[in-house]
Amino acid sequence: MALSSSFSTVRSLRFSGAWLAAALALLGFLALPFGRPGRDFFTIDASLRPWALNSIWLWLVFLAALAALIISFLPLKITLRGNLLAIAGAIGLFSGIGWLMVTTTPFGLGAMVSLLALVIVTGFGLSESGRIQSDAFVSSSILFVGLFILLFILFPVFTVLKTAFWVGGQFSLGKIMNTLKSPLFMFLENPYTERRELLIISLFAIAGTLLGLLWALWKKQGFWRLALITGVAALLGFLLGLMLFAKGALPTSLFLAVIVSLFSTLFGLSFAILGQRTRLKMVSQSLNAISLLPIITPPFILAFAMIFLFGRRGLITYSVFGLSTNALFGIIGVSLAQILAFTPVAYLVIRGSVSALDPALEEASQTLGANRWYLFRTITWPLLRPGLANAFLLTMIESFADFGNPLILGGDRSYLATEVFSAFSARFDPNEAAVYGLVLLTIVLIVFSLQRVWLGESSFVTVTGKPSSGNLSPLPAWLEAILVLIFAFWTLIVLALYFSIIYGSFVQLWGINNTLTFKHYQDFMNAGWPVFWYTARTAALSAIPAALLGFLIAYLVVRQQFWGRMFIEFGSMLSFAIPGTVMGVAYILAFNTGPWLLTSSMAIILIAFVFRNMPVAIRGGVAGLAQIDPSLEEASTTLRASSSITLRRILVPLLIIPLIGGLIFAFVRAMTAISQVIFLVSPGNMLATVLLLGWVEQGQLGRAAAMATVLIVSMLLVVLALTLFTRNRSVSSVGVSS
Amino acid sequence: MSAAPVKLSHVTKRFAKDVIAVDDISLEVEPGSLVTLLGPSGCGKTTTLRMVAGLERASSGQIFIDGQDVTQLPANLRDVTMVFQSYALFPHMNVFENVAYGLQVARRPADEIKKRAHEALALVGLEGLENRSTRALSGGQQQRVALARALVMQPKVLLFDEPLSNLDAKLRKRVREEIRDLQKSLGITSIYVTHDQEEALAISDVIVVINKGRIEQQGSPLELYTQPANHFVADFIGSASFLPGQYDGKTVSLANYQFDHEQTMSPGKVTVMVRPEAVMLASEGLKAQVLSASYLGSITDFLFQTELGEVMASIPGEGKMPLSKGDETHLRFKPAGIHLLKPSK
Repeated sequence: MALSSSFSTVRSLRFSGAWLAAALALLGFLALPFGRPGRDFFTIDASLRPWALNSIWLWLVFLAALAALIISFLPLKITLRGNLLAIAGAIGLFSGIGWLMVTTTPFGLGAMVSLLALVIVTGFGLSESGRIQSDAFVSSSILFVGLFILLFILFPVFTVLKTAFWVGGQFSLGKIMNTLKSPLFMFLENPYTERRELLIISLFAIAGTLLGLLWALWKKQGFWRLALITGVAALLGFLLGLMLFAKGALPTSLFLAVIVSLFSTLFGLSFAILGQRTRLKMVSQSLNAISLLPIITPPFILAFAMIFLFGRRGLITYSVFGLSTNALFGIIGVSLAQILAFTPVAYLVIRGSVSALDPALEEASQTLGANRWYLFRTITWPLLRPGLANAFLLTMIESFADFGNPLILGGDRSYLATEVFSAFSARFDPNEAAVYGLVLLTIVLIVFSLQRVWLGESSFVTVTGKPSSGNLSPLPAWLEAILVLIFAFWTLIVLALYFSIIYGSFVQLWGINNTLTFKHYQDFMNAGWPVFWYTARTAALSAIPAALLGFLIAYLVVRQQFWGRMFIEFGSMLSFAIPGTVMGVAYILAFNTGPWLLTSSMAIILIAFVFRNMPVAIRGGVAGLAQIDPSLEEASTTLRASSSITLRRILVPLLIIPLIGGLIFAFVRAMTAISQVIFLVSPGNMLATVLLLGWVEQGQLGRAAAMATVLIVSMLLVVLALTLFTRNRSVSSVGVSS
Repeated sequence: MSAAPVKLSHVTKRFAKDVIAVDDISLEVEPGSLVTLLGPSGCGKTTTLRMVAGLERASSGQIFIDGQDVTQLPANLRDVTMVFQSYALFPHMNVFENVAYGLQVARRPADEIKKRAHEALALVGLEGLENRSTRALSGGQQQRVALARALVMQPKVLLFDEPLSNLDAKLRKRVREEIRDLQKSLGITSIYVTHDQEEALAISDVIVVINKGRIEQQGSPLELYTQPANHFVADFIGSASFLPGQYDGKTVSLANYQFDHEQTMSPGKVTVMVRPEAVMLASEGLKAQVLSASYLGSITDFLFQTELGEVMASIPGEGKMPLSKGDETHLRFKPAGIHLLKPSK
């Protein structure tokens, strides 16, 4: 028994790997200009080279990089060396960023290279000093992710805040007051109607107060809870009155959100119950198909299609009923379009909690002699409630944030999401846009925190076990018939809408000249194809960093312990929660001037896509990592692998399916996104959805339909390819260790 | 073969502010020996092992491997490998790829990797299974792949984290003999974590008993069994009864039963530890009544009630039950199974 002769596997620790990054920082600093004169990165302006600028801050960057290079080779104790490296890196970073901020010079290639390299130096330092108890790859990644979240998520949001409060160079509440008082925002008393709206709304508030008080008294609540319940009820009464009788963006959006989330949740629930308990195979199969729809379709496509069916020349309104009506354009049309678009979202959420309902619970209850109604009231309903509330709040957020549907079908009413855009690009008032953005942001964050507070723990009540083998009791025949009818009707409308887009792309002029033609496709090839191709390339280019960054964040958050982990978790969540329009106006305000000048370039669109779509990959990564035994990574580590090797050789192969899934969904989401990027497009950087929306608005419905058809069909193909790919490799058999 | 000493000096691990998993542990592992960290679950033994591996960093104290201070050294730079409780075989690699992984990471030449991986697999008796998927192996075989993967790196120190807990009882005995033989013949310094006292007694040069993050006692299996330092160790290793008694430097008194005993111990009140196999039935001695008796073939397990407390006994039955429930008798104790402890509060 013998093993071949030994070799030393301990790598030399006589010098730090930080030297390479430090050298790169020096090189970038010396060879490239630190700033740039305008938007173009590659204009080399000699006056913006560091020695021409000759600022003490810049020499600090130089000295820090030089010091880091020397320290890397000093024979010091490793913790001391780490601390010194971290300090040198941090000094260089702060002085470099400080100089950019103070002089507001747009950062140049040199700044980019040397500052990023200094982040790596700091990462090495934090790792070697033991402050971040992992290797340099992990600590550098943590720093990079933290800085990116600061720069591309928190800083833009902060800029919105600043722009709302900071008008013309000084602090002022005037803009906020003016905007909130403007009739566009909220219009209480309409002098042209007989009705006394203000009085009615006040009555609603009073009625709410009384009802809340009575209820609290009846439930025998203590003083503080009584006060709280009464207050909430008063607010609800006021909001109800506002929704029903006031005009303006706030009441309209509020009304819309409540209606849409009520109906979407209701439909979602009926579909979920139907999907679980129906005996009709066809119904459950088509349910899976509808859950795909919102993924592959830009959110406003249904609104567009509704013009074909219900507009002034609509197939149903005009051809069938002979009506040439504008009724579609307004709150009815928008709510219809949103209900159609968000029901699948609600369905997906509720499906989770319906399938988590353990049949054994129902059987147990039935053996105890419970009748159907009692069963529903005591078992099914309490278990479903968190899922329903979740779906309700989620669709509410979607409705508030939705931009395309109100833009197309909004009619003469104003909506919060569209007001952000019109304030900015029609009224040219960035401060007003920021105020609207702030209002929208506040509402959405309130709804989100409600969701967290109420459902934080309760939403996964029965997910502990696998669905057991018990048989689900079939639905009563009458109920199943009603549900199937609703579903059939819903499906019929959706199919008709999609069909009308395809058909509309082949007719001369919808409703007027119905001869078939390829004209619109020729128009699309001329005017739309370059944009479409550019969008596809940009989306694909953004999907790679979005998926990789998302997975990296998932890995850091799930597998590493470090100070600030909550910040990264919260920050990356935030980019998912913030409405696209708010993020759009935030980006244009934050990156249009100053050190981080990025607008009017492909870069800003790429960055917007990456940070908007990365949360999808984070979720996939977190779910995937939960399936993998952490001791696999530890085994790899004890076999001398650094964390980057472990990631590459163990985790990426085991998580390849969710990784590709993240990649595809990041791509599809980028292709169909509209609300954020509509602020960011510029000549030469046009995107397909923005062009499509423009065509719809200009009434060029034919070529818009052609473009929409191409978009939907290609997204469908991409998603189908993914489904086929993942079906061939069973996900469950990979990555689960004993 | 490189055999390296390991030294832990006042090592402490705090998780949250006030959760102390490992509390001021100091210990030295002789080169080439196998030291077992033994204790109930949650006592800090696995955390100690993981700090030696570098998978956790010590909050304070120092760890030396082969004389080098590795306290702040990340796990992948330490010359240490580990066999995991769950084996942690890479599911997307076959047997050979698993064993070769560490050598590939170290960028050894391909022919060397091949040669050494085969040697390691031969060592654990798995030659010929190189191209099997690890999922097609039995639990015992997976265990050996994990061992080969750790051995192939020729580490200075080999760590075992409850490596046998996923095997069934019979296999466990066999594999632990194999691990011990291999460790002895290769002379690799090893640290082994288990909560199974029988396993610890069977394979260790030195056992370190840990409780609540602190070392209760360390010594050879024989020392720990015959001269436990305190009630916890006596109770955790083997089983024992504890009776309050008096010691005058020469004679132990248990009520009216007295016997001679030699132990460096200050005279006065003591707790007398009695191993079950030291108990004999007699016509005089400590008066006892049978509380329960279970006939186990070669021996009979008794529980006696005495005026000083309950006494467990394993008595050779010679084919018949000597006593049954309720019978009265007297007990005498063989000197080898007696040890005096400081009286417990």
